[in-house]
Amino acid sequence: MNGSLIIHQPGNSVVTDLGRFRGPRFGLPVNGALDQFSARAANILAANADNAPLLEVTALDFRMRATTDVLIAVTGAPLHLTVGGRECPQWEPVSVRAGETVALRRITGGLRAYVAVHGSVEAPVLLGSCAPDTVVGFGLRLSEGTELKTSRSVGPIRQPYFDLPLFRLGLTRPEFSSRVVVEVTDGPDVDEFGDTADLLYNTEYTVSGRSNHIGLRLGGALPERQSTAEVLSRGVPVGAIEVPSREELLVLHRGRGVTAGYPVLAVVTSRSLDVLAQARPGHTITFRKTTVPEATAQHRAALRELETLRSTVSTVFSLLGIGRQPGWPELVPAAGS
Amino acid sequence: MAATPTPTPVEVYESGDAALRVVASSPDTEANWTTVHALAEWLEEAGADGVHGAVPTYDSLLVEFDPGVTSARQVRAFVLMGLRQLDFVGAPSRAPRTFEVPVVYGGEYGPDLERVAAHEQLSIQEVIALHTAKSYVIRCLGAPAGSPMMDGPDFPLPVPRLKDPRLSVPAGAVSVAGRQAVIAPAAAPGGWCVIGQTPLAVLDAASEPLVPYVPGDVVRFHQIQPEEFASFAGLKLEAAR
Repeated sequence: MNGSLIIHQPGNSVVTDLGRFRGPRFGLPVNGALDQFSARAANILAANADNAPLLEVTALDFRMRATTDVLIAVTGAPLHLTVGGRECPQWEPVSVRAGETVALRRITGGLRAYVAVHGSVEAPVLLGSCAPDTVVGFGLRLSEGTELKTSRSVGPIRQPYFDLPLFRLGLTRPEFSSRVVVEVTDGPDVDEFGDTADLLYNTEYTVSGRSNHIGLRLGGALPERQSTAEVLSRGVPVGAIEVPSREELLVLHRGRGVTAGYPVLAVVTSRSLDVLAQARPGHTITFRKTTVPEATAQHRAALRELETLRSTVSTVFSLLGIGRQPGWPELVPAAGS
Repeated sequence: MAATPTPTPVEVYESGDAALRVVASSPDTEANWTTVHALAEWLEEAGADGVHGAVPTYDSLLVEFDPGVTSARQVRAFVLMGLRQLDFVGAPSRAPRTFEVPVVYGGEYGPDLERVAAHEQLSIQEVIALHTAKSYVIRCLGAPAGSPMMDGPDFPLPVPRLKDPRLSVPAGAVSVAGRQAVIAPAAAPGGWCVIGQTPLAVLDAASEPLVPYVPGDVVRFHQIQPEEFASFAGLKLEAAR
């Protein structure tokens, strides 16, 4: 059954996915959900593919109304979630009845929340991704009245006794704090900073209000490049830490220009990029050095956690008949009972 | 691209858990460029699991990958295998295409033209003459949005970047900085000196891949007058036949 979600209060929200991985070779940043773990978790909780289009809501309150029964999951920064006025948990699948309003209010502790809808939503695609690109002016930025088409309706799922939450899927939620530790590995140009490179690990940095999806600007003691030779433009990775000015440290995120001519002091690990995605202006950041093998192991541990969640979700959902047929799901007796 | 007669020395650097930087370090800059672009193409063709793609520039290549599927160690081995293969078979060759780019120089179209002329101690006409004299090889695609990065005109001195970068430079801006030249496919902030603007649309978001040129193609600029600008409206940048 097709239906739609009608945006009533867009705040600052877009439809995105995990990113435009084919973009960089054509000069386009990868973009996509800044907090990849939360985005994947939302899609998994809604029984979607990890890379399915979903909503990224940044900082401001957001409201939408469903025209059919849908199943959603909200992850990311802590917030106050209500559906039809009822308070609902984050990081769990949530039933929404036709006509009900979903409201995300008071995003605190972090900066970005993710809303996945079972069956996902329709969005235009460029180079294999729906992720918005502000430079080429591509993507679906939500405004009041935007109608998002959904492809699958899911009947209401309500625990019949005491209206207790039906799902307790037990994902370890990421921690959100105003003081975070960000892990980095040595950048390819660390030697150009000489002894001043150590400042990166001995300084508390403050997130500037001029930060965005392209990069975070951090105030604090700055390592200084010792050489002045002109650097030829070259590809810079997401997570690259540069010192382009005397005022701020620049940490590039997923919207970064693909090439630049600044030396790369250090690179934030994939796992810590999710932490940075949730850092608000005024938050404090300290950096800790790690190694590439350790960073890879950490990233894979997070993916394994998501895999466990996926198999739990798939077991529960198949018992409830979600994803198989539309309409009211019936609890199927377990085999042998 | 011509075949590389001798192997170019290459170094591979860690660049976080999801990328490697490959740098060709021969004194021959042309050989370095050929090597990193040939390697990028090889990686593209090989399509290894978990390798997202490669961004080649002048002497370096950024290889991006998914650390959930592969690892820096595996990708490094893969890159070295590609290099051995290229040493053996040589780099692929492709006939370059030429793009003719009309430009209105100076005035509102090129607000930094006078500054560049003063810095180079040349007249404005001499700056334009040098800029239009050369055939530029597109060395790589850069930011923003697949900008064609070219070795700059034969000015006497490198051009300094603006002290205060502009918050927005319009699409079609023709700029110079250091010893490089570029055309902006899309409006974006910029710190390069804008000396002119082309009325042609460089970026076509409805086509893949977005911009019509690839590294190795050739650009030639020619001067048009401000009153001609509007007559090019709606035209796209296309390879000359």
